[in-house]
Amino acid sequence: MNREIIVSNFARRPVRTGVSIVAVATEVALILLIVGLVVGINTETGERTAGVGADIMFQPPGASVFLGLNSAVMPVEVGDLLAGVDGVEAVAPIVTQFNTQGGFDVVYGIEPQSFDAVSGGFRFIEGRMFQSPEEIVIDDLYAEAKGLGVGDGLVLLNHSFTVAGVVDNGKGARLYLDLAAAQEMSGNPGNVSLFFVRLDDADAVYAMQETLEERFLTYHAVPMRDLVSIMANTSLPALDAFLTLVVAVAVTIGALVIFLSMYTTISERTREIGILRSMGASKGFVVALVLQETVWLCLAGVVLGLAASFAIVAAVPSFFPTLQLMITGEWIVRAGLLAVASGLVGAVYPSIRAAGQDPVEALAYE
Amino acid sequence: MSVLLEVVDVVKTYTVGTVAVEALRGVNLSVEPGEMVAVMGPSGCGKSSLMHVLGAMTRPTSGRVLIDGVNVAEMGDGARTAFRRDKVGFVFQKFNLLPTLTARANVELARRIHGSHRDPEADERVEQVLDLLRIRDLMDRRPVELSGGEQQRVAIARAVVKHPSLILADEPTGNLDSKNSEIVLNMFRELNRRMAQTIIIVTHNPDLASRVDRVIEMMDGRIVRDGRRAPAEIAESARRAGQ
Ligand SMILES: Nc1ncnc2c1ncn2[C@@H]1O[C@H](COP(=O)(O)OP(=O)(O)OP(=O)(O)O)[C@@H](O)[C@H]1O
Ligand SMILES: [Mg+2]
Repeated sequence: MNREIIVSNFARRPVRTGVSIVAVATEVALILLIVGLVVGINTETGERTAGVGADIMFQPPGASVFLGLNSAVMPVEVGDLLAGVDGVEAVAPIVTQFNTQGGFDVVYGIEPQSFDAVSGGFRFIEGRMFQSPEEIVIDDLYAEAKGLGVGDGLVLLNHSFTVAGVVDNGKGARLYLDLAAAQEMSGNPGNVSLFFVRLDDADAVYAMQETLEERFLTYHAVPMRDLVSIMANTSLPALDAFLTLVVAVAVTIGALVIFLSMYTTISERTREIGILRSMGASKGFVVALVLQETVWLCLAGVVLGLAASFAIVAAVPSFFPTLQLMITGEWIVRAGLLAVASGLVGAVYPSIRAAGQDPVEALAYE
Repeated sequence: MSVLLEVVDVVKTYTVGTVAVEALRGVNLSVEPGEMVAVMGPSGCGKSSLMHVLGAMTRPTSGRVLIDGVNVAEMGDGARTAFRRDKVGFVFQKFNLLPTLTARANVELARRIHGSHRDPEADERVEQVLDLLRIRDLMDRRPVELSGGEQQRVAIARAVVKHPSLILADEPTGNLDSKNSEIVLNMFRELNRRMAQTIIIVTHNPDLASRVDRVIEMMDGRIVRDGRRAPAEIAESARRAGQ
C-alpha cells in the first residue's frame, strides 16, 4: 500500500524523481570513482613494484611503501653492505621519482646491470637499454598513452630525453633512466631511495627480513610478496584525509538534494498529508512514508550510480591506458549505505515537518 | 436510548494575531446512535469548527466532548489520531481523495490505516458499501477520471468501510450539482437506514434538511435551534437557513 502511494508519487513528479535519483547516483559514482582511483593506483603500483622480481625492498628510515611520495634517501654505499650479507645474491640501487606531468607515473633511476641481476631483465618490445643520461626507457602502456616510440623526444621533470627503448610493463616503474642522471635530477648525488634485493633462497625472505632489520636498525626490509597487500592496506594520512573530504562532500550534496526534494514535495502534498491525518494516520505513519519514499529514491540512485561507475571504469582504459580504477565490493556496500544514510538524514526534517502539521490547517491548504 | 455523543459547553477560540475569534461560544449537544443530523447556519457561524472538534481533529478551547464515553477534548495528538482512526469517518466538500491513487486504493488505504484490511468480515462490509453507493465499476479509476458525484461516493465509501461510530460530512454536496447532490444525499440516507450509521451533515441544502431526523441550526457559534420536527416544519426552517 505504502509502495503504491510512493510509486504513484514518483510517477506524478517524474522530473523531481529523476533529478533526485541522478543526484544520488552522482554521489555514489563520485565516491566509487575517487576511491577506485586511489585503490587502483595503489594496487597497480604495488603489483608493478612486486613485478620487479626482487625478494626484498630495502628502504631507509621514514620511507613509505608508496614510492612516489618518498623523499627519504640513503647513501649508495649501503648497497655494498647489503651485498655482503650472507644469502644475498644481488642488490640493485634505485632512485625513485614521481612524474605528475600528464598522469601519475613512477620513474626509476637504475643501473641496468644490477637491475637486470635482481629482476631477471627487461623484455624489449622495441629498441634497447639507455646508454647515456639523455636516453630513457619507457614501458608499452606509457608509450601507447603518449604515442611515443624509439627516437622520440620526451620532457620529464624539466629534462629532455630521447626514448631508447620500449619494454613490457610490470617492472616497478613506467619510465627508467640512468641512476646517476636521476640522482642529479633529484639533487641527491650519491644517495638512493631504495635497494631491491635478490636472495639465494627466495623462501628465506622472512628470516632475511629479520636479519636485515636487526643489522640495519630503523631501516625497512619489505618482503615483495607482501607488498601488494601491504600497499592496499596502508592508509596514507594525506590520502585518507583527501578521501574523507571527497566522501564528506559527496554525502553532504546527496543529503542536501534529498532534503530539498523531500521538502518541496511535502509542501506540495500538505493537503494529502492532512487527508491522511484526518483518516487517523499517525505522525509515525507520515514520517515512515516520507522516509520510505526517500529510501526508494536512494536505492534507485545507488543502482544508477553503480551502473554509471562500472560504465566509466570500463571506458577508462581506452582513454587513459595507464590509469587503473578499482571498484571493490567493500566500497560498493559503503557507498550504497552512505547514499541511503545521507538521504535519510536529508529527509528527517521534511518528514517531521510533514507529520507535525496541524491536520485542520493541512486540509485547508490550497 | 444510549448517548453516542455528548458535547458540553464547548468553546473554540482561534487567535489571529492579537485578535481572538470565537468560532464556538458554548455548544451543548447530544446525539444518539443511528441518528442522522443536519447542521445548518450561515457562513462563519462555526459549523466546520464544530465538526473538527467532534471529529477530534482539533481540541476545543474549553468544554467536554464525550464520544462513546471518552472525552476527546482532553486527548493529546496521538490519542486523538487513534480516535479518528477507530471511530470517525470524514467526508469533505472537496472530496479529498488522494489524486495519485485509484478509487480502490483510496478505500484500501483507509482500511490499512484502520487496520481492518485483513478482516474478512470487513471485506463483506466493503462489498455492501460499494453496492449501496453504486461505485463497484468505478474502482479502478483515479479521481480525475471520475465525476464530482462519483468522487464523493468513493470518498463516502472510504469513510464508511471502517464502520466508524460517527460520520462527519462537512458540506458534502457543496461542490455538486443538484442531481448529484440528490444522489449523494440519498446515499447518506441509505447508509443511515440500512447500516444504522450515525451521520452528522453540515449543509446549506434545504432538501436535505427536510429528509433528516433532526436539524440543528447554528448562529454565531451557538446552537439556536435543535429538534426532531415534522417534515414540513423542517423544510420551512431549512429554507430560512439556506437563503
Ligand atoms: N483556523 C482558523 N483561524 C482563525 N479563525 C478561524 C479558523 N477557522 C475558522 N475561523 C473563524 O471561525 C469562525 C467559524 O468558522 P467555521 O469555518 O467554523 O464556519 P462555517 O460555519 O463552517 O462557515 P462556512 O459555512 O463558510 O463553511 C469564522 O469566523 C472563521 O473566520
Ligand atoms: Mg465550513
